[in-house]
Amino acid sequence: MDIFRKLTWFFKEQKAMYIRGLLALMMTAFLNMIPPFLIGYTVNQIVAHSLTPMKLALILLGVGAEAVTLYAFRYIWAVHIWGGATYLERKLRQRLYMHFMHMDTKFYQTYRTGDLMTRATNDLIQIRQVAGMGILTLVDSLTTGTVTIITMAFVVDWRLTLVAILPFPLLAVMSIKLGHRMHNAFGDQQRAFSKLSDKVQESLSGMKAIKTLGQEAQDIEDFNAHNKALMQAYKKVEFVGALYDPLTTMIIVLAYVATIIYGGWLVLHQQINIGQLVSFIAYLSMLIWPMFAIGQLFNIIERGNASYDRVMNILDNETHIKEAENPVMLPAQGDLHFAIKQFQYPDDAEIALQDIDVTIKAGHTLGIVGQVGAGKTSLLKLLLRQYDNYEGVITLNGEDIRQFPQDTYLRSIGYVPQEGFLFSTSIKENIRFARPDASDEQVHAAAQKAAFHDDIMNMPDGYETEVGEHGISLSGGQRQRLAIARALLINPEILILDDSLSAVDARTEAAILAVLKRDRANKTTIISAHRMSSVMNAENIIVFDHGQIKERGTHADLLAKNGWYAMIYQQQQHGMDATIQGGEA
Amino acid sequence: MAKEQSIWAEKLTFKDQVKVIRGLLPFAKPYKWYFFSAIVAIGVVSAINVLLPRILQEFMNKYLGHLDTKFQVLIIFAAVYFGVSLLKAVFQFLQEYLYGLGGAYAEVNTREQLYRHIHTLGMRYFDQNPAGSILSRVTNDTQALFEVWRLFMLVLMGTFGLVASYYAMFVTNAKIALALLIFLPFLFGAVFYYQRVSSKVYGGMREKLSQLNAKIAESINGINVIQQFRQEMRMGKDFAVTNDEYQMARIRMIKTESLLLNPLMNLFNGLGIVIILGMFGWHSMDAAVAAGTVYAFISYLNNFFAPMSEIMQELALFQDGSVAGVRVLRILENQELAPAQVAHPHGEITQGKIEFKNVTFSYDGVHPILKNLSFTALPGQTIALVGHTGSGKSSTINALMRFYDFQEGQILIDDQDIREYPIAEIRKKLGLVLQESFMFYGDVSSNIRMFNQDITDEQVKAAAEFVQASRFIEELPKKYAEPVIEHGATFSAGEKQLLNFARTIVTNPKILVLDEATANIDTETEVTIQKALAKMRNNRTTIAIAHRLSTIEDANLILVLDQGEVIERGTHAELLALNGKYKEMYDLQGKEV
Repeated sequence: MDIFRKLTWFFKEQKAMYIRGLLALMMTAFLNMIPPFLIGYTVNQIVAHSLTPMKLALILLGVGAEAVTLYAFRYIWAVHIWGGATYLERKLRQRLYMHFMHMDTKFYQTYRTGDLMTRATNDLIQIRQVAGMGILTLVDSLTTGTVTIITMAFVVDWRLTLVAILPFPLLAVMSIKLGHRMHNAFGDQQRAFSKLSDKVQESLSGMKAIKTLGQEAQDIEDFNAHNKALMQAYKKVEFVGALYDPLTTMIIVLAYVATIIYGGWLVLHQQINIGQLVSFIAYLSMLIWPMFAIGQLFNIIERGNASYDRVMNILDNETHIKEAENPVMLPAQGDLHFAIKQFQYPDDAEIALQDIDVTIKAGHTLGIVGQVGAGKTSLLKLLLRQYDNYEGVITLNGEDIRQFPQDTYLRSIGYVPQEGFLFSTSIKENIRFARPDASDEQVHAAAQKAAFHDDIMNMPDGYETEVGEHGISLSGGQRQRLAIARALLINPEILILDDSLSAVDARTEAAILAVLKRDRANKTTIISAHRMSSVMNAENIIVFDHGQIKERGTHADLLAKNGWYAMIYQQQQHGMDATIQGGEA
Repeated sequence: MAKEQSIWAEKLTFKDQVKVIRGLLPFAKPYKWYFFSAIVAIGVVSAINVLLPRILQEFMNKYLGHLDTKFQVLIIFAAVYFGVSLLKAVFQFLQEYLYGLGGAYAEVNTREQLYRHIHTLGMRYFDQNPAGSILSRVTNDTQALFEVWRLFMLVLMGTFGLVASYYAMFVTNAKIALALLIFLPFLFGAVFYYQRVSSKVYGGMREKLSQLNAKIAESINGINVIQQFRQEMRMGKDFAVTNDEYQMARIRMIKTESLLLNPLMNLFNGLGIVIILGMFGWHSMDAAVAAGTVYAFISYLNNFFAPMSEIMQELALFQDGSVAGVRVLRILENQELAPAQVAHPHGEITQGKIEFKNVTFSYDGVHPILKNLSFTALPGQTIALVGHTGSGKSSTINALMRFYDFQEGQILIDDQDIREYPIAEIRKKLGLVLQESFMFYGDVSSNIRMFNQDITDEQVKAAAEFVQASRFIEELPKKYAEPVIEHGATFSAGEKQLLNFARTIVTNPKILVLDEATANIDTETEVTIQKALAKMRNNRTTIAIAHRLSTIEDANLILVLDQGEVIERGTHAELLALNGKYKEMYDLQGKEV
């Protein structure tokens, strides 16, 4: 019952809806008592030959009018109670979504996409069940159950009632027990199914590898093992599912047996008449649903409660990236200065960055090179305010970047990662993602700067081409250029290319870099790369090693130093890693 | 790639639905006895449902009317009632369990056949269809199909019950039963109207729900981009629109159901009681009517209307299942099979000589991608293919690996036509190193050995040592047993490439086919990889696609491809001297660094 208390806020909010629904529901329970009574009454009249046309007409009018009224009440409660539950679902879904929108990197490291999806789908359904089915069964079982039993006792006989309803609690017990078993069996089935699904997914993505090695038969064998495991899980589900009806039949029959023997005895001893017995049997069948539902109610509450806690758990997470209390109102532009003493990722003992001191003059380009894991991306993450927990300060225009409102600050940055996420919509919508009101001309101009326009024009649908999920229909180089165009469209004060030219061929890379040089004369650019050709024209190049700056200077300075940079540069020039020609992955 | 059409957008005619069922029936056939037994059980349960009220009717009419009825009679009736109910329970269980099992077996069987069929399809199929959509055919669609199969049982049960209870009413009192037919037109009207409205409303609702979930998933995956460009509020507003639309669709569905399902059936039931009471009552004024008869008749009426809402609801879901069926059938009917070998393939590849003789190859039968390609690679030689994207480099490999069939000319290996070798021999002796190194869930050693259990642990180790992958493997906490998660996410691109090499080399192929990696690998790993490649090529015939000309300077023969034709051929030195396209490409690469 805890869950109903937790959902009080919602029921209060939708008070009018629920009150109307529940009143209609209770009216239904009361009105339901009338037909069996009238049927029993008529039977008695028939048996006693005392039925007159007048009496019959009144009875029929009563039953008919009552049926029509019940229709109205049934419609009202169904629409209000089921409908009310959808408000809860919508509300929680929106809250979850907005929460996802605002959470930080740490949150997304803690929860995997699948977990979050489950919260927004299965858990919401379980909670909706509480507000719909849960409320319905709670109120209906109590009213219908009580009203029916009282009616039986008063209209027929209280002793018979007492005896006949003895088996009914068994129904509730059965419904709880089977509900549990079903839930477990179904969970097993879901797990088997998702394992199978993972298996198929992997084989399909690796189809070329499987064909290359000629391992089709072995792959099918492995698939069959998963498929068979699923079959075993199905068996269990089918078995438990097939128990519901027979067990219900067996429990109800106990009540009928009691009614036949004791009810029959009462009739024979003229304690009740035959019409009352007919009414009694009709009432008895009305008790099946409420008792069964009480059992279900326990399961709904249990699952709903767990789901609600899980959802709240997610919503209780707070982002570590906070808006400054008194944000500075300066424009986010100008010289950029890193003065970082030390940075560690949360829950990680290793030092990711240490003693970084770099200044980029407005309009200049900073090149960052170094091995994988040397700290290039970590530095950019701090600049992007994905983490705020570092010792030291990064200033823009002389102000700590954490003091800017995020809206001003982040909007002035265009960040292009190596694998920039693309949305499964058209190329045009992807380019103008950050500026949905951009005109076609502006979109085309941005694509031109990213050396992507010609590619697009060669596609049958041009800018309307759908990029597919994760941009699957584009090549790696096209995806990178699309992401660059997307960042260029907002003409950012700071442009960050984080290894985002890796899949672009050398000629195109040169073209893009030339455009950047020309168009971004007053704006800052940061380029992180593996190929020295990407950074060699930068005003300042820093070489990272184990989180520290090992070398710095211009291309010429660094060559003169004859350190790591010079070594890699020579290697690349001498062809061990010559620039990629003509090929896009 | 066209955006996949939503399952809810497709509309099927009745004829299509029949075709789907007929197409899929063979997969359910091996389990027919489950279904037949279940249907018999359904019949028994329906009969018992008619019998039970009849027992009470007898009891009331014949015995309760007489005060001298003995107590034993009550016990006997109770015992009979109990016994018959027990029988009903047993058959209820059989009906549901057997039908459920049959459906599950049929589903699992269909899925297996589908998967087997998919493996017979050629690479073309996988190049043209996104893995995601094939995946949902194999998993979700087969499931949806047989969920509908199960719904079929509910409809069957309902129909049996309907017929049985009407029959019982008819036998009890034909006149009243006939009078009740007055509901028939209304009932049909409700069913028809509900089907029409619900298929639309329900389809719209499901469509919105899948949009919602797709939006959530995509937003989570793209959260960095959304946050970096400060689009949270806009995305939130977009989402709210779909969220509201979904809720509205859901409420429409609730209203439709409340209007036409349970409440309406209850109304019919209530009005039916009016007719029954009216007619019995009228009749009783000049003749005797027994109490038990009235009771039994009203019970039958209940049995008649009770399954109606359920049947109507299930019928509405039928559409989904048939759409899923159409999609499954489409794959099963797909005949883009993998290229076939001759009827009695034979022979063994021992030397590794490769000869292309005037090979012409086209993907669509209209535009040739390779035109009259000819070259010879003697055992142990390295032949390099260079050229821009679309020049035909990958197509040459696709033809050589038998991923696609070529149309004209011949490919000879050891002077025998490639189509005359068993495909297994080709797979065994031609080692293709793929550009993207795909990792499978498992551990390091299973990724080298793959599914081939004949390969010993020693061989796995030897292969890893040979390509120098052993160096990083030995540093892993569990070495060769180190788990590999999806897509090998814990390994760097370079490490994956080395494992990929080991996977190829462990089968000891005679011929090496290299689709050169362009992956973004840091420079130091790059050196290791180049060294490993050089070692692998030793003593093997090698066909290499090269993006970086520097890596193939020592090839015995370099073919420069342009639009499917060889425009220049020769050694590195010869080609430079030629001062043509190759020289141009070489100079451009040199200048970049």
